[in-house]
Amino acid sequence: MMVLSTHTLLKPRVTVLTAAAFVLTAGSALLFSGAVAADFSGTWQQQWSLDSHGNTQQFESLIDSEWNHSFSGLGRGWDMTLIARIKIDGSDQLGHSVEPSDNFSSINGPLLKSQHAQLNIREWYWDTEMAGSYWRIGKQQVVWGQADGLKVLDVVNPQSYREFSLDEFSDSRLPLWMLNIELPTSGDGSWQLLWIPDLSYHQLADAGSDYAFSSPLLVPQIPEQLLPILSAVSLEQHKPVSPLKDSDIGLRYATFAGGWDLTANYLYHYRDAAVYYQSLEGSELKIDAGFERSHLLGGTASKAFGDFTLRTELGYNSHSFQLLDSQSEQAMQNLLRQQGVHQSAELSSVIGLDWQGPADTMISAQWFQSYLLVDHEDLQRPQQDHILSLLYRQNFANESWEFEALTLYGLEQQDSSIQLQLSYILESNLELWLSADLFSGPTTSMLGQFNQSERLSLGFEWGF
Amino acid sequence: MSTYNQSKSRTQLARWIVCHPKLSVVASLLLMLAMLGALPQLYKDTRADAFLAADNPALIYRNKVKAQFGLSDPIVVAVINESRQGVFNPQSLQLVNWLSEEISALDNINSDRVTSLATENNISGSDDGMEVTPFFDELPETQAEADRVWQQVSDFPLYMGQLVSHDKQATLIVAELIDEDQVEQTYEDILALVERAPRTASDSNSIHVAGEGAVAGFLGSYIDADAQRLNPIAGLIITLIILFAFRRVSTALLANVIIGASVLMTLSAMALLDVPFFVITNALPVILIGIAVADSMHIFSHYFELQAKQPERDKPELIIETLEAMWRPITLTTLTTMAGFIGLYFAAYMPPFKFFGLFTAVGVGVAWLYSLVFLPAAMALIKPSASQHMRRLAQNHQLDSFAQLMVSFGRLTLNNAKKVLAVFAITVAFGLMAALNLTVNEDRIATFHPSEPLYQADRVINQHLNGTNNLDIVIESNVDEGLFEPASLLKIQALQDYALTLEHVEGATSIVDYLKQMNRSLNGGAADEYQLPRERELIAQYFLIYSASSDPTDFEEEIDFDYRVANLRLTLNKGSFQDTRLVVEQLQAYVDEHFNSDELNATLSGRVTLNYHWIKDLGKSHFAGVAISLLLVLLVSAWLFGSLTAGLYALLPVAASILIVYAAMVLLGINLGMGTSMFASVAIGLGVDFAIHTIDRLRTAFRERAQPNKPVTEEDWDKALGELYPLTGRALLFNYLAIALGFGVLTSSQVVPLTDFGAIVFISVTTSFVASLSLLPALIKVTQPQFISGAQRPEPRIFSMSKFLRTTSGLLLIGSLGLALFNQQVEANAINSEAMRFNNLSADEIVERVNRVDDGEHVSRDLTMTLIDKRGKERVRETRTYRKYYEGEKRTILFYKKPSNIKGTGFLTFDYRDVSKDDDQWLYLPALRKVRRISASDRGDYFLGTDFTYEDMMLEGKLEPADYDFSLLGHEQLTLSSGEKFDAIHMQGLPKSKVIAKELGYGRSEFWIDVDTWLVVKAHYWDPKDKPLKTLEASDIQAVDNILTRHRLAIDNHKTGHRSIFEFSQVDYQSSVNDQLFTQRALKRGK
Repeated sequence: MMVLSTHTLLKPRVTVLTAAAFVLTAGSALLFSGAVAADFSGTWQQQWSLDSHGNTQQFESLIDSEWNHSFSGLGRGWDMTLIARIKIDGSDQLGHSVEPSDNFSSINGPLLKSQHAQLNIREWYWDTEMAGSYWRIGKQQVVWGQADGLKVLDVVNPQSYREFSLDEFSDSRLPLWMLNIELPTSGDGSWQLLWIPDLSYHQLADAGSDYAFSSPLLVPQIPEQLLPILSAVSLEQHKPVSPLKDSDIGLRYATFAGGWDLTANYLYHYRDAAVYYQSLEGSELKIDAGFERSHLLGGTASKAFGDFTLRTELGYNSHSFQLLDSQSEQAMQNLLRQQGVHQSAELSSVIGLDWQGPADTMISAQWFQSYLLVDHEDLQRPQQDHILSLLYRQNFANESWEFEALTLYGLEQQDSSIQLQLSYILESNLELWLSADLFSGPTTSMLGQFNQSERLSLGFEWGF
Repeated sequence: MSTYNQSKSRTQLARWIVCHPKLSVVASLLLMLAMLGALPQLYKDTRADAFLAADNPALIYRNKVKAQFGLSDPIVVAVINESRQGVFNPQSLQLVNWLSEEISALDNINSDRVTSLATENNISGSDDGMEVTPFFDELPETQAEADRVWQQVSDFPLYMGQLVSHDKQATLIVAELIDEDQVEQTYEDILALVERAPRTASDSNSIHVAGEGAVAGFLGSYIDADAQRLNPIAGLIITLIILFAFRRVSTALLANVIIGASVLMTLSAMALLDVPFFVITNALPVILIGIAVADSMHIFSHYFELQAKQPERDKPELIIETLEAMWRPITLTTLTTMAGFIGLYFAAYMPPFKFFGLFTAVGVGVAWLYSLVFLPAAMALIKPSASQHMRRLAQNHQLDSFAQLMVSFGRLTLNNAKKVLAVFAITVAFGLMAALNLTVNEDRIATFHPSEPLYQADRVINQHLNGTNNLDIVIESNVDEGLFEPASLLKIQALQDYALTLEHVEGATSIVDYLKQMNRSLNGGAADEYQLPRERELIAQYFLIYSASSDPTDFEEEIDFDYRVANLRLTLNKGSFQDTRLVVEQLQAYVDEHFNSDELNATLSGRVTLNYHWIKDLGKSHFAGVAISLLLVLLVSAWLFGSLTAGLYALLPVAASILIVYAAMVLLGINLGMGTSMFASVAIGLGVDFAIHTIDRLRTAFRERAQPNKPVTEEDWDKALGELYPLTGRALLFNYLAIALGFGVLTSSQVVPLTDFGAIVFISVTTSFVASLSLLPALIKVTQPQFISGAQRPEPRIFSMSKFLRTTSGLLLIGSLGLALFNQQVEANAINSEAMRFNNLSADEIVERVNRVDDGEHVSRDLTMTLIDKRGKERVRETRTYRKYYEGEKRTILFYKKPSNIKGTGFLTFDYRDVSKDDDQWLYLPALRKVRRISASDRGDYFLGTDFTYEDMMLEGKLEPADYDFSLLGHEQLTLSSGEKFDAIHMQGLPKSKVIAKELGYGRSEFWIDVDTWLVVKAHYWDPKDKPLKTLEASDIQAVDNILTRHRLAIDNHKTGHRSIFEFSQVDYQSSVNDQLFTQRALKRGK
């Protein structure tokens, strides 16, 4: 509580909106329902991580409280879900700036924040069924796609990279305020329409923290030729501002035919990663972090064949932005001519195959590939990029023990990560785990950039 | 209690009955009516398989084989044409085609399993390799085309003799049934088809319908029809005899009431005890008609005798006096008759015979009760008078012609006592020798009268073709595709060759024949290439080629899908036990010595093998039955007369009669078969009555004229013996006539075993009657036994031998009856499981009943799963589940509610009725926020960490006939560990193949099904290595919305010590379940 008492009121707008929504919900609950009987549940997740130097990297508590309420009376047919999260990290190794994160829109972000703690409305949405369609309105996560970890279509919500990709997907995904309507058609088909006025984007790890990006794939580097003349480097971010004009729109059609799960997806959105446009003004290197729109067209198909499950995903991005090599001979010209950024359409795909042959065992392999339709000789990344992943999961003793090993391997840069976890359900509502996250590869590579940030973790989750 | 007191109390009882006639009559009739209420529940079980106990290994194995290869006892239709071209002329072939098509179209015929010239394929060589083509695609129009068909068929050794006769004159259409229980209707349908088959004036084709299927289909109704004809005739004859004997309509009416009570109440008792009406139960009413009337005849005889002599006396007083005199012999004969039938019960090994013995004893008891209660009461109401003829004779001290006849007979006997003994001694010796030559035999087709078309059809088919009797040899390799091994196939061929050397084995079909024909076709068609391929790969290829060229299910009857189990079917031209016994025994010896090994195993099965197992113990059982019946009758008689010698004397006439019957059977060429084997117990039970009446009458005569301290003289003996004939002898004569003519009716039966049975019982009863009134008096005259003359003065002794005997024998009789009734419960279990209260249900039908139990079109419910590890540590998960049936599929969704760590996890399944289609399953993990498609093929995997497999969850207590061969193991009172008790059927499920066993994770299973709810209440599972795996118990069964619901399922894993308990609550079958609940969206939304 000591920690919370030092809180700072961060965003008046977020606070006001949240408070208003809360009052509205509570009021409507009291007005329209005979009795407000919310279903309450919660989890307390505690993890202690040591980095490769033996230092505490993280001693973090995540306390999630979930309220589910079905309205009766006049509000009948409406359900509300509210998930609030208190996050307390005793160590600040992973960065937890008191300053507001600028990736969030004015209606998103933590409600309260202090040096070691923050209070978040993780998700808060209302569900109803109207005229044969299903509506979910509010702050939520929407997951598209079939691949695990490697994202082609799963880009509706931005992501927090505070722990790179080491924390749970649902934890790293940043929920957005949106309108989500699903309209079932005859048979097994359904349409989904998303309207996302929430202009929040990826949240990167704080500079200097363990998982801060450093790879030239993601962070612009100062061209060597510039170093002798450069007097200053400035960074400015330009975010879209109009919730209406700049909102994202998504449309998906999903069906189940002949044993296949099929979807066709379209998302008109701002890409969640900022594009770092670089320009030279005198002796000052100005980096302008802007956000760009793209059309994402894609689809997924998956089906089980005996012991095997095939999962495939294909996506076409009309616009993707890649950093150019700052060390090449052409670096200066590229900087001057293209602001250090190459734009191209991108075609990505994932093919995954799960094998559930022996009992309690799953082996899952994925092949991710990304191809830039327009090449550039000074691209930081290769035109064609491949990542392979292999997951092995084994359960023991009626699923009370679970061992999981996930490895990712980048073919081009020969970088890799290995995540190992052994977990044990001690009681119905108490799970313990021990995990190790290892990285290797050149520091310039996506995974290799964290090869000094390996960690060993011990944790538990208690449900209440 | 002193003898005086005893007799006083009996007199009082008799007086009470006579003084309260209306009450006694009404009470008797009400009791009868109350019992009759159960009669509609009686049901029939006329299956041949009912003769074997349900847990008989041969029966279980045969049912497994039938299921594995889809074999049933087929109906065989033969087209015969004795012209020069035989059936190979356009007309006959068109007829075969028409019949094949029409038979295939019948509801209960498996259209894939109709085999005839019109459906079968020729295997021949072609440029591409092998050609599998129908014998005729288009119907032959000309003789030349028909000749070409003959040419092809005659070049295909497999079909010669099997499908087509070597002389061209006969061909078969073999039709397998879908549901063997509907065989009777199907047989009728086929007969109707034959009636309207297209024929022309010049047509010389004849059509015959036979085969095991037809026999089974017709037998039940054939015997029923016969019984319906015979029973009224028996009743009528006996009524006429009574009318003739007493010349009073009332006597006939009252005797018929007693007959009605005895027969109908016995059948009601069967219904109440859930014992079905078997084929042989048809003989029960006829037998009871004969026995039931005997008691009343003795009572009438005595009463009218008294009434005629003393017409002035009060009739009720006469009735009381009659009862005083007659209760004893009537009770004695009832007890001995019951003892005889209980002997049959103990000795018989076939359930129908056991029940026959037991319930006939019950019927005899009912007849006794009504004769001593209802009859005197009714007589007291009607107050019948003796006929004028009788009165006149009595007044003039004259005897009627029947009495005179008996007196003459008595005189003849007593004057030649030693000669009579000598004649009987010689006859008995001859009978003993004959008994050693008695032949045990049974032939189902011989059940039918030779004039019956089915009998003739069978004869004709067996004459022209290989035969209608099948013996299957199931060959199992220990590995999949083990039958690709040339060595294994050569062994099968050797076995087949050996079988064909055995007498009556006319044909053999197995996969070997097809492979040889394929080999020949692919090697230019030369006759010397008709041999097995020598390489494993080649064999595998042949199958592949064949399946590519034709329907891959063509071999379904010969080999299983994994090429691991094959069937070798032998065809025999004889079906009788004597003809097939050697075949079965020789084959078994060959298989044991030359065939069975670790890799390859053969087991004999099929109808012929099953019949062998039926009959082989018949002789043993028969003689054991005779011995037990004789012993029981001896004990009872000894008890009643208080003398072992008296018991032996009482037994002599029946023993002699049985030996004489054996002699007659040998002389007349009657075999000891299913029907005839039960004669002895019937003969003992009935025949001993005459001896008992004789002995009792003689003892009474001595007692009546007893003078203290006066020695018994020769004159006393002559007098007593002389008095036996006019009254008792006359009564016994009518008694004999009633029984003999009652059974004599059976000789007019169309069912051959019943005809034989009737004839044999007629002979034995006649012999018993004659022996009781000749051998027995002659012996008594010669030996002057103490138990008769001493009856006048019981000597006071500290240790009374007679008392000891009475006590011991009494205890034994009570013990036997008690044991019989107790055993009836136990034995009923074996039969119950097949047929008792379940209306002839077979294992498959029980499975169908289980699967038919309503579990609601849709349901929503809470499910709490408690998982307990071997150290007792618990994990609890609370879920909400919904399930709904759709056309062709079942959809289930399950949401985790607690604990909060896994809250939101969801599991959706689409389970398709089409077993060839994999289920579709999705898992929603909140940590991923993603619906994940998962493979559903591992049915044997454990469901979400519980001890239930996905398959267990999907079946929800139903049984999957596509995976298992089910068989019945019995019926028992089951007590679960929760203390709940069930009346349960015990069944076994064997996976149909090793592949299925592996998939399910179960090598075998046993189920207990509650017969009241048809729910599976307990199950044991073994792993594929036959190690105990799991035990499931279902309890807390309650009706929710009128649907019986198992609220608690507990499963113990014996391997891991882990335990899962599923508890259902908030079960709701009524609230509608939205289709949109079974979607990925609902999974994600958690509702």
